[in-house]
Amino acid sequence: MLGWLRWFMARNGIALSVYMLGAVALWVIVMIVLPQLFMLDFSFRHNWQQIDPSKMGGPEDVYTFVNYHFLAYGSPNNPDPFNVVDVTVFFRTIIAAVFVTIFDLALCYPIAYYLAQVARGGKARLLVLSLIIPFWVNELLRAFAFRILFGEEGTINAILVGLGLLSEPIDFVREDVALYAGLGYAYILLMIFPIYNVVESLDKNQIEAARDMGASWLRIHRRVVIPFAKPGITSGCTMVFMLSAGALAAPQILGGPSSLWFTQIIYQWFNTGSNWPRGSAYAIVLMLTCVLLVLVLMKIFKVKIGEIGR
Amino acid sequence: MTSAGVMRIAVGLYILLFFAYLFGPLVVMSFTAFNSSEFPSISPWNCVTGEWFDVLVKDKHLMGGLRSSLFVGIGVVLLAVPIGLAASLLMTQLQKRARSVVYTVAISPILVPGVVLGISTLVFWERIDRVVLGVEDGFFYDGYFMTIIGQSTFIAAYAMLVFLARLQRFDPGLEEAALDLGATQTQVFRKILLPFLKPAIASAAVLAFLASFENYNTTVFTIVSESTLTTVLASKVRYGINPSISALAVIIIALTLLSAVIHEYLKRKEVKTTSALVAEGLPRGGSESRPHPMRIPVGALTGLVVISLLAGLWFARGYDVDECKVRVAEENRIHFEALKQQRLAEAKAKREASGEDASAAVEANQTGRQYQSIFAPTNLGQQVDSDLETETGADAAVEANQQGRQYQGIFDPGNLGKQVDSAPEND
Amino acid sequence: MSADVQLDDVWVQFGDFVAVRDASLTIEGGEFFSFLGPSGCGKTTLLRAISGFQAPSRGRVLIGGQDMAGIGPNRRPTALIFQNLALFPLMRVWENISFALEVKGVEKSARRKKADELLELVALPGQGDKMVHELSGGQKQRVAVARALCAEPEVLLLDEPLSALDLKLRQHMRTELRAIQQRAGITFIYITHDQGEALTMSDRIAVMRQGVIDQIGDGTTVYDHPETAFVASFVGENNFFSGRVAEVSGATATVDTQAGRFCARISGAVPVWPGDEAIVFVRPESIRFARNGSDQNTLTVKLTHQEFEGHFWHLVLQTDSGDQIRMSVMNDGSSDTHEMESWIDIGFSAQSAIVLARGDLAAD
Repeated sequence: MLGWLRWFMARNGIALSVYMLGAVALWVIVMIVLPQLFMLDFSFRHNWQQIDPSKMGGPEDVYTFVNYHFLAYGSPNNPDPFNVVDVTVFFRTIIAAVFVTIFDLALCYPIAYYLAQVARGGKARLLVLSLIIPFWVNELLRAFAFRILFGEEGTINAILVGLGLLSEPIDFVREDVALYAGLGYAYILLMIFPIYNVVESLDKNQIEAARDMGASWLRIHRRVVIPFAKPGITSGCTMVFMLSAGALAAPQILGGPSSLWFTQIIYQWFNTGSNWPRGSAYAIVLMLTCVLLVLVLMKIFKVKIGEIGR
Repeated sequence: MTSAGVMRIAVGLYILLFFAYLFGPLVVMSFTAFNSSEFPSISPWNCVTGEWFDVLVKDKHLMGGLRSSLFVGIGVVLLAVPIGLAASLLMTQLQKRARSVVYTVAISPILVPGVVLGISTLVFWERIDRVVLGVEDGFFYDGYFMTIIGQSTFIAAYAMLVFLARLQRFDPGLEEAALDLGATQTQVFRKILLPFLKPAIASAAVLAFLASFENYNTTVFTIVSESTLTTVLASKVRYGINPSISALAVIIIALTLLSAVIHEYLKRKEVKTTSALVAEGLPRGGSESRPHPMRIPVGALTGLVVISLLAGLWFARGYDVDECKVRVAEENRIHFEALKQQRLAEAKAKREASGEDASAAVEANQTGRQYQSIFAPTNLGQQVDSDLETETGADAAVEANQQGRQYQGIFDPGNLGKQVDSAPEND
Repeated sequence: MSADVQLDDVWVQFGDFVAVRDASLTIEGGEFFSFLGPSGCGKTTLLRAISGFQAPSRGRVLIGGQDMAGIGPNRRPTALIFQNLALFPLMRVWENISFALEVKGVEKSARRKKADELLELVALPGQGDKMVHELSGGQKQRVAVARALCAEPEVLLLDEPLSALDLKLRQHMRTELRAIQQRAGITFIYITHDQGEALTMSDRIAVMRQGVIDQIGDGTTVYDHPETAFVASFVGENNFFSGRVAEVSGATATVDTQAGRFCARISGAVPVWPGDEAIVFVRPESIRFARNGSDQNTLTVKLTHQEFEGHFWHLVLQTDSGDQIRMSVMNDGSSDTHEMESWIDIGFSAQSAIVLARGDLAAD
């Protein structure tokens, strides 16, 4: 280590070495690792800050599982065997995020393949560029656009009623259709680009060779393209899953009045609830679940973390 | 028809549908910005208007949020880009094992949900404030400071990826050559590495700014008592509101188009210098100036934007919005009147048939309630600020309010101007 | 100004791998000195040790009598020309050339003037404003040389700088480099795996094998009087016959091989004794068609292949015992032509063949 440091200093000079090591240390330690540790620490504390600030640092300021216990079982006078609201919301969020991911994968794989292998020249470039544009429009505005489309007075209802397909407008927001369509929409790009990047580097000859040997269209994809695109697919699924499970804007804007997203519960603990330790505990549970699911996914598909984000 | 032909049509249709899904919502939203209807919609198309842009510009909350978003965005660029640069440079000098460890830690903020980053930043600095400075709400517990830090945590990782991609094509021999010619390490960095990385720095900065500008999940926790464009937007959008948000979207889409073009241009420039690098060692003529494949689509896109803007301006010039509004209001009134007559006639027929007058009473009662909601205090001002009011109630109130407004407009066309003017105050 | 370079028991190790082993030699000031060897023989490592990019694990590098330990590449009186030239792609030609002055803070007009002078020296006048990628391969070569010279080094180090060029340009640049060296009057240390380059340009050549310097000498010495089997097989083309020494008399030895008994002059630094394993080397151009038994060494071979190359015929021959022999015949009209697959008598003199103790041969 010391030897490496000496070599590093000699190679870069003092000014650059200090800049590089300093900036990375600031980032990794102060911005990434310590805040997570503090949040973890916080999640095991009582909410004395709000209830009784005088007890802070006192003998009763000890570590506790009370916040995690609350997530699982609710308040002590909860008649149900577990915390029905929060636990249901939690599982619904995870499952919905999985479905959003699958939806995006099914939707985007053909497009990514088309852009990478079929479309050519200027047309392909134009399509790729036009993919980027919606991505840079604010997430909130994208959700807003879906609200305009799916509202009771929205465009889709207007069209369907106008065409006589519906007699009464459907409340898409209440049915959560708007939410899923909006979430799926929000992260399309994060699914397309990783797959596109990988598939683009696939030698066209491989596909042609397979076709030449009489492989069907389906088999070419199953045996040649998809195995090759695996790192991209995993990367895309990871991103989409993480972002939809952790989404806040779309559920706030498009979520039906009766269906909460888990992040909204966390948000409530931090705002109206004024119980940061509990909010931290909920955030940790969300994060660990997501990371665990993604690690399992990567294990199954034998993809390393280093291949994500390329 | 051959099966290949069927296939081709199917593929074409799929792509068409996909891009319709991609652009449809944005196009519809953009149109609503030009509809004089109080609620953002295109279905009852009233009048073409630019008034929502006025409403937008006069909105103090939004403009204040915009200012802080710009401030935060610049702060993030200044913090995240140097960090990403340092990390990417360090990464190239680490041994394989150490490199993969640092890489994993460094990209983890991209994979962690944004809300978690926001919460951990908030909790950490609040604690630092209390423990280190011994005060509450001290220097570190500041919305701007924490937002810049919190956003930079993951935006630095984006910047790092941009730099790593560029550095992959760097020939370390150039550094050695400069050293050998007597340059100091700092000179090598300034004269060789930085010029090489310049396009990457530009695109990392653009990327960082845009990522910061549109971030919501992290910001909503770290911003505390301040507000950025996204947090203002969120509270507005959640409660319905008027098409000035669509107007904002139109502006952002236009800016996005512009920055997409700039980004593409920078990328092309980067590719160009790279191809010059690759051409090293090739005989002369190896790097002839190829026609850039991007020139055509980018040009077409820019052209489209310019044309639509010009068309919009021309259209807005010889056209009187108020006149149109009065006309639409009149049409609506006639339509409603006809509807009312019809209903009354129906009710009358019914009553005559059954001898009951209950339905008419109900009818009248309903209409009355709707009128009532026009004048009832609808709490629009409060709604925006009190984030956590039950959404059902707020939505219902907004819904009622809009209903009410529409009816009000029908019966009192003269009131319309006032109504529009009062909108920003309400929000 | 030129300085001598002295290597004093230099070792370079990477972990367990020894890249350079006990390199000790003195390169005179103003000399054109080449390190010749196959890839992976440690010659580039040695060059990096001289230029300061690689610290020796043991031993000293002295330039102009001064120990270079702890002195970085940017403070040594050396300039290195890289294998891929490493010209700065974002700078103009003249900026590239005068970079060494730029880092010293010399003002622009003076830098420009110096760059133009150097462009003159490397026969590229008026090309200063071009971008690097607008130059041809040979022009880039010269810019690289000019850039290195601009640092006013006492020693110029060249790491296979011609390897990227095509054959004709390479041959032209050999002469050019030699001329530039004589004009500049400084020490050139040249690294190459191409024996043709080493032989044509160098005052002296060091032949390296697996981190060890096998032989140091001028071109003719290394070619005509190789001291190890490796040098004999690596420098120039050679036919070889392995066998055992039967008899030593004075400067010649008789060796029994599969192909027959041959008499040849003893060349190596290590003496050979009867009973030793040894190899007889004979160059293709030293073999002649045998006439009336005038040569000491004769053998009968079958012609299996022949190539015509203008002023030479290259013949591939095979002995009874299966050894392949290459032979070059001057196309001066005096030689007979032979049918393929016909049997021919050939021979060579004892003076034109050499005996060396058995050792590693260069891989083809």
